[in-house]
Amino acid sequence: MIERTPILNFVTHSILVFGLFMLLLPMYLVIVAASHSLQDVVAVPPNLLPGDQLWVNLQAAWAKGHLGERFVTTFIVAMGVMTGKIVLSCITAFGIVFFDHRLKMPIFWLIFITLMLPLEVRIVPTYAVAANAFLPFQTLLDLTGITWLVNALSGVEIKLELNLLNSYAGLILPLVATATGTFLYRQFFLTIPEELVEAAKMDGAGPLRFLWDMLIPLSRTNIAALATIMFVYAWNQYLWPLLVVTDQSYAMIAVELSRLVPKYSATGGEVPKWHIAMAGTLIVMLPPIVVVVAMQRWFVRGLINTDK
Amino acid sequence: MTFKLSLTAMALMAAATAAHAEKTKFDYWYGLSGDLGAVLAQTCERFNASQDKYEAVCTGYDGYELVVQSAIAAFRAGKAPALLQSFDAGTADLMMSGQFYAVTQMMKDYNIEINWDDYFPGIANYYASSKGELFSMPFNSSTAVMYFNTDDLAAVNMPAPTTWEEFDTTLKALKAKNPEKCAYGYEPSVWVDLEQYSSINNVPLATNNNGYDGLDTKYVYNTTSAVKHMEDIKGWLDAGLAEMKVSAGGMNSQEAFSQNICSFFFGSIANHSSLNLKHADNLHWDVAMIPTEKGAERHNSVVGGASLWVLAGKTEEEYRGVAEYLKFISTPESIKFWVSNTGYIPVTKSAFDALTAEGFYAAAPYKGRETAIASLTATVPGPLNRGFRLGSMIQHRAEWLSEVQAALAGQKTVQEAYDTSVERGNALLEKFAKTYAGKTLP
Amino acid sequence: MRRAYFKNNWVAALMVAPQLLMVFIFFYFPTSQALYWAFTLEQPWGGGNTWVGFENFAAILSDSYYWDSVWVSIVYAAGSTMLAMSMALLLAIFSDRQLAGYKLYRVGMIWPYAIAAPAVGLAFRFIFSPGAGIMMFVNFLVPDLWNPVASGTQAMAMVIVAGAWKQVAYNYIFFLAGLQSIPRSLIEAGAIDGARVLRRMRDIQLPLLAPTFFFVLVINITDSFTDSFGIVDTMTSGGPSRATDLMVYKIFNDGFQGLDYSGAAAQSIILMILVIALTFFQFRYIERKVHYT
Repeated sequence: MIERTPILNFVTHSILVFGLFMLLLPMYLVIVAASHSLQDVVAVPPNLLPGDQLWVNLQAAWAKGHLGERFVTTFIVAMGVMTGKIVLSCITAFGIVFFDHRLKMPIFWLIFITLMLPLEVRIVPTYAVAANAFLPFQTLLDLTGITWLVNALSGVEIKLELNLLNSYAGLILPLVATATGTFLYRQFFLTIPEELVEAAKMDGAGPLRFLWDMLIPLSRTNIAALATIMFVYAWNQYLWPLLVVTDQSYAMIAVELSRLVPKYSATGGEVPKWHIAMAGTLIVMLPPIVVVVAMQRWFVRGLINTDK
Repeated sequence: MTFKLSLTAMALMAAATAAHAEKTKFDYWYGLSGDLGAVLAQTCERFNASQDKYEAVCTGYDGYELVVQSAIAAFRAGKAPALLQSFDAGTADLMMSGQFYAVTQMMKDYNIEINWDDYFPGIANYYASSKGELFSMPFNSSTAVMYFNTDDLAAVNMPAPTTWEEFDTTLKALKAKNPEKCAYGYEPSVWVDLEQYSSINNVPLATNNNGYDGLDTKYVYNTTSAVKHMEDIKGWLDAGLAEMKVSAGGMNSQEAFSQNICSFFFGSIANHSSLNLKHADNLHWDVAMIPTEKGAERHNSVVGGASLWVLAGKTEEEYRGVAEYLKFISTPESIKFWVSNTGYIPVTKSAFDALTAEGFYAAAPYKGRETAIASLTATVPGPLNRGFRLGSMIQHRAEWLSEVQAALAGQKTVQEAYDTSVERGNALLEKFAKTYAGKTLP
Repeated sequence: MRRAYFKNNWVAALMVAPQLLMVFIFFYFPTSQALYWAFTLEQPWGGGNTWVGFENFAAILSDSYYWDSVWVSIVYAAGSTMLAMSMALLLAIFSDRQLAGYKLYRVGMIWPYAIAAPAVGLAFRFIFSPGAGIMMFVNFLVPDLWNPVASGTQAMAMVIVAGAWKQVAYNYIFFLAGLQSIPRSLIEAGAIDGARVLRRMRDIQLPLLAPTFFFVLVINITDSFTDSFGIVDTMTSGGPSRATDLMVYKIFNDGFQGLDYSGAAAQSIILMILVIALTFFQFRYIERKVHYT
């Protein structure tokens, strides 16, 4: 910035280079494995230098994993989840932070608790909801006796059904319904100075105008961070897409990638085709990296005072 | 009247169904992946090409646990497949649920002639009720065998051991000859070390004839020679005659064997095929039956792999398609296609005899696989060799493994470990029985 | 903390309604069904169930192995959270100085987050395998020093490092975003007052990062309790002899693999109560120290 700090700069670079080394070492091993034949990948002792098979393996992975088609579906889902999350968590956090009502904390907790139970634990009932998204309402109607009442009065039996299996809605919606984003926005909104709210009210701006004109421009970096995380999160989804999709035209890329590294017990001891799988990993990683780089533009300092 | 407000998110599917209206579709979910999964997918394609009335829509999952879990979720939501490949550990729950269509009954209902007596009894019994009615279709079947390095055994001038005592002598000879080499790459496996062992040596794993005769079953393997066998293994490991080779350590026992690092490996005959495809150039190997205890008469080993279950709640047309499919896979050509492209063994006597007659097992890469048949048919299965009809097998296997790891690490004796494992296994069985209170095993 | 608020609460209701609806449909409704099973013995294929009250809980809580697993989970959560957060904070605060190569560092640190799960498993198998890769070198220097197959402590260390590794990139993104939303004028003012770089980090940047820090802390602890079975499944399967048998892995093994829905549901409730208590504790005592405006 302003001052000269040669020693500290050296320390800074050392720390960063060391960190980069630790973080990128596994990545390097992936590249090495992607550039050898299978025989060399499983050899003992292992190769620690890249080989010359990278292009061959990349081509094999592209063809074997149908990666071209899977890119399209996965991209749609990832964009859907990312956009849905950003919008939904932004307005929810707004409703929690900038209004004074008793339900603020209960609502926040209600949303927050969704982080505490992984999908694997609730897979059977969640699948049932995906098979019929109206099931919760049907159950409510049944339990409250409304179904019975309507049936008794009019002879009509209410039966609601909305099947989300093998659809983009079924892939996207359950992934949007979690709390990370809401929590992040809450943390950020709480740091917004009260004066801004006062000023907005003084100007006669309503809440929605305040949200749109002030809060969203101010949360640029946080939106960028959240977008990066959510895109990658959705991009790498495995279990949920595996369950709700049997029609391969909706198959997602992480499911396809894991097919390249099958479980030992499910294959009769076949050696996984690590070289192809790792090459596939490199290809599959590209769109998230593009997103990471694209979001970089938004990682800029100076929001409240100078640039505005 | 039923007022059904139906909004389907699958407009495409309706169109697709209309386009192929002439073919009846049925879903088939399986749990094999990798190359095996690809061969299974080909079976579906061959079936679909063989006739124009039915279409098998086949979906593969990575492992039996995953396919069974998916099928249960789908079943409870009314979207289950008609045909499901399920494994030994899922058998008890499926049988108790009753949510299946017994294959023998189905074939009878659809007038398809299948000679059930042709199935090897060691295979059929595993999937049959206590009264002998076959519930699911035997399909990918295997059993455990002993793989050994022929060069190493030749170097010490010894044949493949047939008893554990000889195995012990062989290990010592190998170690004396080449102290640097790992003689036995050991990986704890409840299937090999306990389940196969008990069947082959005719000792009980659990009461009620290993669970076939009722739900009030108790494990008893802490009182049989299985304890001594585990103590032997621990002795070999402690003496350096065997070494732990598990994937958490970077290499499992099969990899250690195929890379010519260890001289012995115990595993499924299904791995015969993958070993053939991938092993160190200087490795020469063969298979033999798993040794028995000295003085114990050899009995048949138990079948591994999976079978095909027809699930309840489907339409008659779908069942007709499934029946055609099951008939298709039990033809000698299909069995040959399956066993020659995988490491599995034929499930019928006639298919095995036909393959033997045409010299299938006489030369590489299939030579040696007949050992598995010999092991499975060593005797006619008695009450202790039919298999195991036990609930919560997955959890019991996890308990066994944890206790064995503790014993091998020297934290407790093998007897203590087995006592704990049996005690905890019994708690699981008790809970299983209580879950199905009022029901009886078919 | 008194704030200025908007008064029209119906707008607030409109804002929170969509997410509440989603959460109800896709989380609370299915979850309540799954949790109901904790008080029954549920047949996996849906043939019905038997009400048993708190019997499942009694069986779990009286099992000494279960308490070991609780302890193991706490060790894992503490270890991986501390490791991942301190690494990420250190790297973020130094990247934020924006020296030469800043953009390169930034992309390099976020990159690992993009890597898919199967590849992480393989890479770490390479790294930690005693007979191959990097740890083979360690064993070459000191024979038999590294053996996670036999040593529970080493297996735990291995799982912690692998679990923390991916979380570093995640935390780094949020820390960096948090640091960047600190107004430049504040830092410049500090510089003009004569505060040196490290001092400014301590006195200006770290306190202003507190809201982000709190977010990352809560998410890391929650994740390490509820989202860690994948790493255990690929690396150790809970072994050796239960040394890495995390609570959530046991739930996964019993419920998802072993079809014991009731036992898994009861364990889930216990895990949820534990995580909610921890989170509540953090909101109650740690958030107090966070100054938002």
